[in-house]
Amino acid sequence: MTHIPNAGQSAIIEELAEVIVANKAWLSEIDGKIGDGDHGSNMAKGFGKAAERIHGKDMSLDAAMLVLSDVLMGEIGGSMGPLYGLMFEEMAGALKGRDDIDADAFSAMLHAGLAGVQGVGNAKVGDKTLIDTLVPAVAAFDAAKGRGFAAALTEMEAAAERGRDSTIDLVARIGRSSRLGERSRGVLDAGATSCCLILTSLGASFRKRLS
Amino acid sequence: MASGLGGRPADDAAVRMPLRFGDDPLLWASWLYYEEGLTQGTIAEQMGVSRPTVNAYLAEARARGIVNVEISPEKFSGLSIAQSLRDHFGLQDCLVIPTEGVERPLIPRLGEAGARVIARILRSGDTLAVTWGRTVLSLADQIGPLDLKDVRVVQATGGTTARIPWTPEACASTLAKAINARAIPISAPAIVSSAEVRAMLMQEAVLAEQLAILAEADKIVMGISSLRPESTIHTSGFLDGTMQLAHYQDAVGSLAGRFISARGEPVIGPMHDRTIGLTLDQLRRIPQRIAIAGGLDKVAAILAALRGGYVSILVTDIATGRGILSAEGYREPPRRSAPQSDAPLPARMEVKKFINDPKDAVDEALRGALAAHEDLIAPVPGSTRAVRAIDGPRPGKVAVVIGGGAGHEPAFWGYVGPGLADAAAVGNIFASPPPDPIIAATRAVQGGAGALFIYGNFSGDVMNFDMAAEVMEAEGVTVRSIVTTDDIASSPIELRTSRRGVAGNVFTFKIAGAAAARGLALDACEALARHANARTYTMGLALEPCSLPETRRPTFALGPGDMEIGVGVHGEPGVERRGIERADACADLLLDRILSEMPASRGDEVALLVNSLGSTVNFELYIILKRVRQRLKARGLRVHRTFVGAYYTSLDMAGVSLSMMHLDPELKELLDHPCRSAALTILPEERITAKAT
Repeated sequence: MTHIPNAGQSAIIEELAEVIVANKAWLSEIDGKIGDGDHGSNMAKGFGKAAERIHGKDMSLDAAMLVLSDVLMGEIGGSMGPLYGLMFEEMAGALKGRDDIDADAFSAMLHAGLAGVQGVGNAKVGDKTLIDTLVPAVAAFDAAKGRGFAAALTEMEAAAERGRDSTIDLVARIGRSSRLGERSRGVLDAGATSCCLILTSLGASFRKRLS
Repeated sequence: MASGLGGRPADDAAVRMPLRFGDDPLLWASWLYYEEGLTQGTIAEQMGVSRPTVNAYLAEARARGIVNVEISPEKFSGLSIAQSLRDHFGLQDCLVIPTEGVERPLIPRLGEAGARVIARILRSGDTLAVTWGRTVLSLADQIGPLDLKDVRVVQATGGTTARIPWTPEACASTLAKAINARAIPISAPAIVSSAEVRAMLMQEAVLAEQLAILAEADKIVMGISSLRPESTIHTSGFLDGTMQLAHYQDAVGSLAGRFISARGEPVIGPMHDRTIGLTLDQLRRIPQRIAIAGGLDKVAAILAALRGGYVSILVTDIATGRGILSAEGYREPPRRSAPQSDAPLPARMEVKKFINDPKDAVDEALRGALAAHEDLIAPVPGSTRAVRAIDGPRPGKVAVVIGGGAGHEPAFWGYVGPGLADAAAVGNIFASPPPDPIIAATRAVQGGAGALFIYGNFSGDVMNFDMAAEVMEAEGVTVRSIVTTDDIASSPIELRTSRRGVAGNVFTFKIAGAAAARGLALDACEALARHANARTYTMGLALEPCSLPETRRPTFALGPGDMEIGVGVHGEPGVERRGIERADACADLLLDRILSEMPASRGDEVALLVNSLGSTVNFELYIILKRVRQRLKARGLRVHRTFVGAYYTSLDMAGVSLSMMHLDPELKELLDHPCRSAALTILPEERITAKAT
């Protein structure tokens, strides 16, 4: 298949929430090395709460993303609240009104999400943030789009993982951990890691539905 | 201490490890504990080590797989089903007992489990409502005397037919007697013949008084009835005749004589206006609602009660619990194999805290703070995380709105009050508040002269306060933001604007609050707040990390002899780690960094804040202050005001931060302007004599 319907896909966000909640302890552990160690619990709180609100409702993917965005923006705070909140709001905007989501729509969604993040944060690739995951993943998806939707998703997921791992060797230049200078080298960035979980979960959910 | 030393053999050879343990203290400790059954104290003496060391050996022995502790499969199922029920239905707690494999029938075992739960949660002064049925009576028969005072046990409904032994009267009076509580009956039938009779009875003073006590219940213990012919609700004389049944086709279960549908909604039939007792709405408002019910015939009824939110603590059995969960599409997770690790275990495993449920901690602490300082601060209606000053917005006065994550108490609500901030927004632990409470706080206090946002420089705070500022601007409120940057450890001086804002915020709040209180315009308030921030310097150092309520684990590891210099206020690791030094050397280290940046000349005046990061006590802060004052005197700097204590904390971090504001006549005057708040009060009549120090 080349596309999935937009309607009735709120389970994709529930699957995403399940992944985030399952990785709560890991995310907090990564965050604790150079941050304050609450990334996992904050993410799990936000995504878990959104999943509860979506559960059992027949919603389009963009509507479910808006619910997630509202919870992240309205109740979570911190830097991840606005960053992911705006990312999902913009992603939802890109999907709104579409009956089907094909590779072009997915690409538009990724670009909109990236623009949302960049609109509120000012990190660049190499600053040891979630941008290090998101930017190469979006580029990889676009580059592989010609080979089919599912293939492009696989490339996106692989690029997200490479992007996440690239943060190990980086020195943080933005956010709380930037104050650590060289001491921030050698560990993953928590935001890059959660962003990778988001992209790989979305990728897997889409691929499952495409096949 | 002395007895411990005395009990230890003097001869070192006597504590030598028996050869068979092969020099492995973990194995030796495990043998003594698990095989010989000795206490950890006795083992400590035998091994010639301290008791905590024995504890650490045993923990590590488990982590390394030397000892395998496995929960029996039956018990494990109970635990995992209880946890799933709790998580899925948002229960406070859940107890799941084995269904089979035990000699006694299910009902008395449920009753016994229920008795254990009641014994655990009941407190002196409680009013406990009780429904009726086999399980509830069995509970009452098995509960032992409790050492509680002033407990009342009240029937949840009127009385039923005496054809059954487990009537409401029997259940309530048996339970009350067993736990030495006062029994309050409901002196009327549960079902009366007509709505008119009920209305008449409710006028009776005796009954009205009893129902008023019922309405005060803090806890309820209840059975859940199915609607099968042999169920409690049928045998109690409710639903007599097929006529009645027809009205209750949608009902799948019954609680306290009221009926609910599969989705947990009330089913209102002809009995509704003829029932005397708790209504479903009243039931749901009781803070702790303990349901005890089991048996596969009850799955639908229990599920309905859970869906309707009528239950906060559930006691059931494995088969029933599994039935409920599978009706909700749940699969039992596979068992995890025991993790094995060679990594050394951290010395401190879990930090003790006064916390109920970690997820409620921020709200509960804030509610307590609001209660403690109700003469000064109040919640902004409609927002649980926005706090405003009682004395309200003053038309024409610039509104000062501050805020940040929780965990810095008494920041930020502690700086709300006359002469200080007008409102504060509080986020989750160490996380900026989202825009909503900032907006709510601003709306509540702005008096038409614009608003000044003051907060520390953290990316989350900047994003959320900026979003709130945009919304306020769209509503026609001019907003200026002061992003504080006093933490000199966080970036070199060339990058001053990227520094964090920490305890020095207190000075900036004070100056801005005074400027606004004097009726200065927004531009002037903003300029003064920026001026205060530019002349404020903070340097901190930690002796122990803090731990989050959620994890109760230290946020970073600090060696036994180490201190962390330039530590962040969120438990972020600092910029340098070195061996701990004497107090004077620590004070010098903080002061020298500040003086290296502060362009102060002899005779200049400063304000000082020696701040506890959480668990360091005033006793030690004064020792630090003594040195700081001694050094400043030698430097020819005069101290105009000194503040010592927990002004801006980082949960339970041990450590100190030193903040210094370089005064000029303007700042000095604003610092002396009177203010009153939970954490900072400066009295109007106070006369300051600036001594040369």
